[in-house]
Amino acid sequence: MNQRFANPYVIGTLLGLVMLFSFYTMGRGVGSSATFARVATAGIDLMAPEHTKANAYFSKYLSGSRSPLMAWLVFLSMGAALGGLFSAFIANRIKGEVARGPSIGVSARLWLALGGGILSGFAARLARGCTSGQALTGAAELAFGSWIFMFSIFAGAYATAYFFRKEWL
Amino acid sequence: MGPLYKLGWFDFAYGLQMAGLIGFLFGFVLERAGFGNVRKLTANFYLRDFAVFKVMFTAIIVCMLGLLYFSVFGWIDLGLVYLLPTYIWPQIVGGLVLGIGFIMGGYCPTTSIVATVSGKLDGLVFIGGMIIGSFIFAEIFPLLEKFYSAGDMGAIRLTDVLNLNSGIIALLVCLMAVGAYWFVEKVENKFGDRDTLPGGSKRMKRSAAAILILLGLILALINPDRIAANRPSPQAQTRERMEEIQKPSPKAEKPSSSKFEIVEDEGC
Repeated sequence: MNQRFANPYVIGTLLGLVMLFSFYTMGRGVGSSATFARVATAGIDLMAPEHTKANAYFSKYLSGSRSPLMAWLVFLSMGAALGGLFSAFIANRIKGEVARGPSIGVSARLWLALGGGILSGFAARLARGCTSGQALTGAAELAFGSWIFMFSIFAGAYATAYFFRKEWL
Repeated sequence: MGPLYKLGWFDFAYGLQMAGLIGFLFGFVLERAGFGNVRKLTANFYLRDFAVFKVMFTAIIVCMLGLLYFSVFGWIDLGLVYLLPTYIWPQIVGGLVLGIGFIMGGYCPTTSIVATVSGKLDGLVFIGGMIIGSFIFAEIFPLLEKFYSAGDMGAIRLTDVLNLNSGIIALLVCLMAVGAYWFVEKVENKFGDRDTLPGGSKRMKRSAAAILILLGLILALINPDRIAANRPSPQAQTRERMEEIQKPSPKAEKPSSSKFEIVEDEGC
């Protein structure tokens, strides 16, 4: 039997303390989206190293002989995968499936997941961060742009939720 | 005095291990909240369950209050904490597109990791999409370069924009949060399924709200910015003390054969 999810206020408080710990020890907050950009960079670098060096954006993730994957956020994401795995395991929530609403098929859901991922990956690079790296971290520091970014995320999702209702409801 | 890393307490390699630990806790709490579950996440945008909003906003407030109180007690030098710069136009457009990506794909970047390790194939596909999306961004970067730095306002805070000190802003954020929590609970009780929504007694919620506002009020009265500005160069003091501490510690003397540096994408 699956366990109930924890109270969001309790989780929010714990997450805030994790972020505070990160600020206190490292002087920076949490994040994850750059991990995917670094994976893309490492992949292209493997196939065509001249290409990544010539590209103005990829080259930002290259520093000398060090792999673009030797980075703070990559390790943070790997930790998040382990932490999530551990929590899902003890709550008996690991189950291989395609998560979706009752009125959408598997392949449609996977295509939309791909499309949503592409948009998110692109947008996170444009905004210099995602929900955690830009919105949570920046807002806690009272960074102006991060607050605007956070409201924009909610605005974008609420404005288009109607069109995706068949995927979830 | 923190932040420890910026004051040289440990090197980059040790910082990477720290990242693993922080990430572990991060992923753990997200999964506890049910953020590996795509329908729980998207219910936020159909007014049925505001867990996403509550977790995000609570985390921001707790961390914000923590940073300001740490600064008041002299435990952290906020000037050394990396502050995300504001580029207003790409942030607005990026936010809107990320929101659309969220409702279309069902996840945001970190929650898709948690979903993937819970066995959700759509989470893995979403991650693949993000890698492709980052690749597309880099490939067309020359076209976007101008927009990418549009509306450059520097590393400014709400305090600069509204011309109020951090304490007043903290109080306003706390008041806004209490109001927003009250409102979203009304809404989700109306549209959501009461059996799956988390409980919590009214009395407890009221006490928590009172504590929150009290913590904000104290900050508004003492003005943390002034206290931090009046402290006699804390950096120099700690640096001396740190050198003493650093010497006998084996951890600070990790072998650093290849020289590690923080690369510029500190925030994201």
